[in-house]
Amino acid sequence: MEVSRIRALRGPNLWSRHTAIEAIVTCNDAECSIGDNPDFEARLRARFPEIGFLQPAGHQGGISVAHILEVAALNLQKQAGCTVTFSCTVQTVEAGTYQVVVEYGEEAVGRLAFEIAQTLCRSAIDDTSFDLDSALTRLRELDEDERLGPSTGSIVYAALARGIPYRRLTSGSMVQFGWGSQQRRIQAAETDDTSAIAQSIAQDKELTKKLLDAAGVPIPFGRPVLDEDDAWVAAAEIGFPVVVKPQDGNQGKGVTVNIVGRDQLQIAYAAASAISSSIMVERYLPGHDYRLLVVGGKVVAAARRDPPQVIGDGTHSVRELVEIVNSDPRRSEGHATALTKIRLDEIALARLSIQGFTVDSIPPKGSRVILRNNANLSTGGSATDVTDDVHPEVAARAVAAAQMIGLDICGVDVVCDSVLKPLEEQGGGVIEVNAAPGLRMHLQPSYGKARAVGEAIISTMFKAGDDARIPVVAVSGTNGKTTTVRLISHLLRQNGKRVGMTNSDGVYIENQRIDTGDCSGPKSARNVLLHPDVDAAVFETARGGVLREGLAFDRCDVAVVTNIGIGDHLGLSYIHTVDDLAVVKRVVVQNVAPTGTAVLNAADPMVVKMAASCPGSVTFFASDCHHPVMATHRTKGLRVVYLDGKEVVAAEGVIEQRIALKDIPLTRNGTIGFQIENAMAAIAAAWALGVDWKVIRAGVATFVNDAATAPGRFNVYDYKGATLIADYGHNPDAIIALVNAIDNMSAKRRFVVISGAGDRRDEDISQQTEILGNAFDEVILYQDQCQRGRADGEVLALLQQGLTKATRAKKVEEIRGEFAATDLALSRLKTGDLCLILIDQVDEALAHISKRIAEA
Amino acid sequence: MKFLKVMPLHGPNIWTYRPVLEAWVDIGELEDSPSNTIPGFYERLTSWLPSLEEHRCGVGEKGGFLLRLREGTWPGHILEHVTIELQNLAGMQTGFGKARETSTRGVYKVVVRSRHAKVSRECMDAARDLVMAAIEDKPFDVPATITRLRDIADSYCLGPSTACIVDAATERKIPSVRLNEGNLVQLGYGASQHRIWTAETDQTSAIAESISSDKNLTKTLLQACGVPVPEGRLVESPQDAWEAAEEIGVPVVVKPVDGNHGRGVTTELMTRAEVESAYQLALDEGSGVIVERFVRGNEHRLLVVGGKVVAAARGESASVTGDGRSTVAELIDQQINTDPRRGTTDADPLNLILADEDSAVKFEIMRQGFQPDSIPPKGKQVLIQRNGNVAFDVTDQVHPSIAAAAALAARIVGLDIAGVDMVVEDVSRPFVEQRGAIVEVNAGPGLLMHLKPADGKARPVGQAIIDSLFPANKSGRIPIVGITGTLGKSSVARLVSRLLHLSGKYVGLTCKDGLYLDQRQVEKGDRASCGSAHKVLLNRSVDAAVLVSSAQSILSEGMAYDRCQVGIVTNIIGAEGLDNFYIHEPDQVYNVLRTQVDIVLPDGVAVLNAQDPLVLKMAELCDGSVTLFSQDPEISAVTEHRKQGGRAVFVRYGSVVMAAGKDETTLVELASIPLLKGGAAIHQIDNVLAAVGAAWALGLSQELIRTGIETFKAE
Repeated sequence: MEVSRIRALRGPNLWSRHTAIEAIVTCNDAECSIGDNPDFEARLRARFPEIGFLQPAGHQGGISVAHILEVAALNLQKQAGCTVTFSCTVQTVEAGTYQVVVEYGEEAVGRLAFEIAQTLCRSAIDDTSFDLDSALTRLRELDEDERLGPSTGSIVYAALARGIPYRRLTSGSMVQFGWGSQQRRIQAAETDDTSAIAQSIAQDKELTKKLLDAAGVPIPFGRPVLDEDDAWVAAAEIGFPVVVKPQDGNQGKGVTVNIVGRDQLQIAYAAASAISSSIMVERYLPGHDYRLLVVGGKVVAAARRDPPQVIGDGTHSVRELVEIVNSDPRRSEGHATALTKIRLDEIALARLSIQGFTVDSIPPKGSRVILRNNANLSTGGSATDVTDDVHPEVAARAVAAAQMIGLDICGVDVVCDSVLKPLEEQGGGVIEVNAAPGLRMHLQPSYGKARAVGEAIISTMFKAGDDARIPVVAVSGTNGKTTTVRLISHLLRQNGKRVGMTNSDGVYIENQRIDTGDCSGPKSARNVLLHPDVDAAVFETARGGVLREGLAFDRCDVAVVTNIGIGDHLGLSYIHTVDDLAVVKRVVVQNVAPTGTAVLNAADPMVVKMAASCPGSVTFFASDCHHPVMATHRTKGLRVVYLDGKEVVAAEGVIEQRIALKDIPLTRNGTIGFQIENAMAAIAAAWALGVDWKVIRAGVATFVNDAATAPGRFNVYDYKGATLIADYGHNPDAIIALVNAIDNMSAKRRFVVISGAGDRRDEDISQQTEILGNAFDEVILYQDQCQRGRADGEVLALLQQGLTKATRAKKVEEIRGEFAATDLALSRLKTGDLCLILIDQVDEALAHISKRIAEA
Repeated sequence: MKFLKVMPLHGPNIWTYRPVLEAWVDIGELEDSPSNTIPGFYERLTSWLPSLEEHRCGVGEKGGFLLRLREGTWPGHILEHVTIELQNLAGMQTGFGKARETSTRGVYKVVVRSRHAKVSRECMDAARDLVMAAIEDKPFDVPATITRLRDIADSYCLGPSTACIVDAATERKIPSVRLNEGNLVQLGYGASQHRIWTAETDQTSAIAESISSDKNLTKTLLQACGVPVPEGRLVESPQDAWEAAEEIGVPVVVKPVDGNHGRGVTTELMTRAEVESAYQLALDEGSGVIVERFVRGNEHRLLVVGGKVVAAARGESASVTGDGRSTVAELIDQQINTDPRRGTTDADPLNLILADEDSAVKFEIMRQGFQPDSIPPKGKQVLIQRNGNVAFDVTDQVHPSIAAAAALAARIVGLDIAGVDMVVEDVSRPFVEQRGAIVEVNAGPGLLMHLKPADGKARPVGQAIIDSLFPANKSGRIPIVGITGTLGKSSVARLVSRLLHLSGKYVGLTCKDGLYLDQRQVEKGDRASCGSAHKVLLNRSVDAAVLVSSAQSILSEGMAYDRCQVGIVTNIIGAEGLDNFYIHEPDQVYNVLRTQVDIVLPDGVAVLNAQDPLVLKMAELCDGSVTLFSQDPEISAVTEHRKQGGRAVFVRYGSVVMAAGKDETTLVELASIPLLKGGAAIHQIDNVLAAVGAAWALGLSQELIRTGIETFKAE
């Protein structure tokens, strides 16, 4: 068993929409059918009884180690409490090599589960020990560390339910909702609208009280004190009972309540001094602690919070009473359950001593023994939902408090006998206002109904129907992607959108290139979706990224597949056939939104097949409107884009829009066939996004395809009366399209300058020259800088091999270096000649050509 | 000299529009000893406080007060001037003061302008001691006193960044209210307010602040959006460090992940050997090591406010050249600290460099193989501080692409006000071509470097912040109706409040019946005070305020607000209850209540009782327009006022009439006003007229005013 590569697929991918670990597992012969070994299975089950079935009921045949790893990794996660369901194992073309795919919720947990699955497998093979409990504990703890906390989680799930995409910005609780210019951020129960100043005010209890008082919210009066003696004086001024607390504390640390005598005050003052140097004395409000959660000007949840406490029965000691309470199965050590165990720590002992008890005292029957000042769930307190009981006047005070402090989300701590009556009637008051309040007590109250507080927060951030998305177009295919992406972006820009675009040249925001190089992968797309100035995104979606990581988005509005043809880059990453390739390119179509559109090339049978996997609608394009696929689609009243003579026609039922080819400069008056296809695809995409036809017409008319706007995409130059064309095309389909376009152009002699990129299959490299040799008179071969793992001269040999079958080429030369090859060709050119330069280092090569043209 | 009473007046008062400290001083027997009769007094006082020379006093020219001293003046007056001077010397600039005799012999009211009550109180106490020492020819440590007062002023007065924002607000006539002893300030009133806390506003997002304080996250976000940052990564080993350097491209910086003050940081490394040894150095100082692109250039601070770069400052390194004799510390004092722009106070644009106290400086020196007390060879240049003095204004040179990058960085982090730190060689050239980088985005940036640059123009950054919070059409104000007079204030207030409530406003009301918010009685008892009015103006829900001030509250506290939309004076009847304030005559009461009319906004309205001659006289004090009310429409004050096109509210043929110039509209019959109880409460007629005048001034419709009055019942 050898695991040669592990990838995390972080978005919709080849296998499913789930995030998943993908591993390449190579098995020896015995391992390929290890499931047939009953001893192994027994050992495996002994070590991990919950591993479940190794294959579906009724199926026979070899179960490999790869299958075992799959099932083990999935079920280990399930046993650790993760909600995962998807896994699969696929045999590759190489015997004994499998791709194993296992869903994860948290990437780190998925990776660890896969690692533990290997350990488990080995121990079952070697009959060594395996500690299941510690493995599950590790997984569980890692999952708890990694996954969103309960407050953040509740907001994120509410967003997902609304179809709002999210992305974590940190390993903590900072999350981005939505994309581009529509994005918002949260950090636990704090939004990007939460004012920093308001938070500072909420931290300052004195100022908070002053402001609440101004807002007409009842508060316990009091003042800061200088020392213990002053505290005593203050207590006398205010009137007993009083509370002593640190001025800037949190979570109830150092707070002592219900003080009536000097002795208690002394202990309380010391406790508060341990937390802070500034101490407050204020009136003690008798009653229960309530927490009212105010979100967007409304009380959305309320809970009564009881401190950890026991009730004396006259026979058990405090210690025993605590043990009895802690034996409740709902009480655990962590956050996982609705209650947490009561701790008998120093704080509890101090609290006991204030009440005149030790842990060994036996409290009288019916007496209440409080073990902590605060009612936090995490220290053993309990929460009872009282949302439906809150009197409108009480709610109004809580809302006024939040409004006065300036918090959009606010936990208002109220002390009163009952929230059923106005605070003013019962001498209750607001004692504290909390920014970024914990939501757990409302999500999982110890008693009573859970409240949908995450939904409330999402509702204040996003209007009904707003899913915070921006239009996303994904363009896939073998050839024409980059030009199509550029043209779609151009059309959207004409529509007033700030467009973010990725393609194989870079990342562009509003026409400004912010990153260079091949940016057709998910990382660049994710960056665009993060950018605050992007209203619409158009992504070139290359296969590499889809295989490596999956898509950068959960769904798109438009997926365009230009063509599959006879393929490109075959042989890499277990993609050997055009069918395999089509499966990869299909991923964008599979992830079109139900309300979205797939724009598919009807002339390419591989692309046509993808229509069946599209959850949304389909627009077909092809030059020939009589193509059976086109004709059928059109007959159904569905959208098609085709060529009618010298016009591109977009038709839906009887409604038609026509754009003359002469008004689409990209097509050079209709002479460049592949650009017509690109234009049709882009027009269909803009149509799918609801761009006005006026805008589309104006857009195609103003789209300039030169070296500046579309470097390496059929850039045409005039050089001393000869026509020079620079293009990046590097696969047989692209070359055929180029040859077809150039055939339509008149020329005395035809030259071509070519190299081959090393990462293509041998047959693809030689096929290029085979095609070119039949269309050009003179061929100049040069060695590409980008050898991509090939030996020196290997590519040149393959290029030469293709030329052996050439019918037209009369002269073939080999030269080293792209610039030298270009210079050689230019030196031969005369008026009326035509030269196609297949450039490799796009920016450098174009700069070189421009320089030569300027010199001419 | 004894203080009988010292009271801060928080707002406009009988003396001036601004807050003052008022002291009642009994000088006792000194009444018989004017300044010219005390031997040596003049000399002592002027030698202790030579800057008293500047005080013009009533004379109106420099040396005016000294002239008075020589001619003979009394300790109350001297106390006033000495307090003002001590305030100035403490750094709290003031000019206004007054000293007036009262009706009691030897008792004076001494008033000084006060920017902070506690500071003024300290200055006044010190001034009394100083004057007494000068009179009694006792020693007095003037410098120590001034240092102490300066420390007090520094601790209570607003910091320079906050002060510049508040000043800009004042310039725009936006009122400000300090909310705590720190720099938290409310600008504007009620629902129209914004809050600032140094260079943070209530629009500043807490999450954005969290992001900006997490340098790594900031860098990741900026980089994702294409903003150049010093790319880099954590490295595991010396070998990995070199691999990272190769990925990034040399030169690189190697530094500890969590170090500070430049400890363990080595810059501009080119070779494998350099990188590997720097790795070890960094590892010793932190828990991990980062290799980053070295960005050549100077550090710049760009201040982004509301999406735009409003100021930019360049940092420069400071270094010294050895003379073969002096230590590094001495060289710093000779070559750097002698710069007159350097000093120790907030007012100095550059700090003194103290090699022994500044650990970053010390470290920089040590890195070059020196100690503060070692003597560098002659001609040897020693770098003292990198980018230490970011105080050279370059605002006008910033290239648009650099400004755009800074603004984008602030937007990505999500800050409305951000200090963007950027390293570039030349801020006037495009960002990308010089491979500059943004190194940090700061929330709540200091503004001092833009206000007091060491070199170049000061920038109105406070104004930019105010303009971003308050667009040109926002004044930060809510309609305030201020009411004073002897009788009827609270009835008028309740009626006006009711009318405003009907118009849909959340009204805050203070009067002798209590404090009301949106018609709910929140506090009971007499609330016709400055403190209660202050509360209402703090309230972010309050759309309109109706605030009653009694003569007592104006005298003892001042007004809670600087200006009002409508000022109503009902009447002046006697001077009852004001004896304690040395006020005995209605004429003196006029001087108190006129404050209400003095502070009416230029576009506001004074509503005055035309049948009360003293009240009528206030009409001429009003910056805005005047609406008169009178039960008798034919008195000359009303007819004259109407001839000028003015507004009046009066009773004609048993109905309330609103008149503007010649036009008259009958609003409502007296008989259908429940408040008048069918004629049993005839004293309320004036109150109704005043309320109608105010409602009219507030732009309420006649229908609403009529309905409001017809349905308003006294409790």
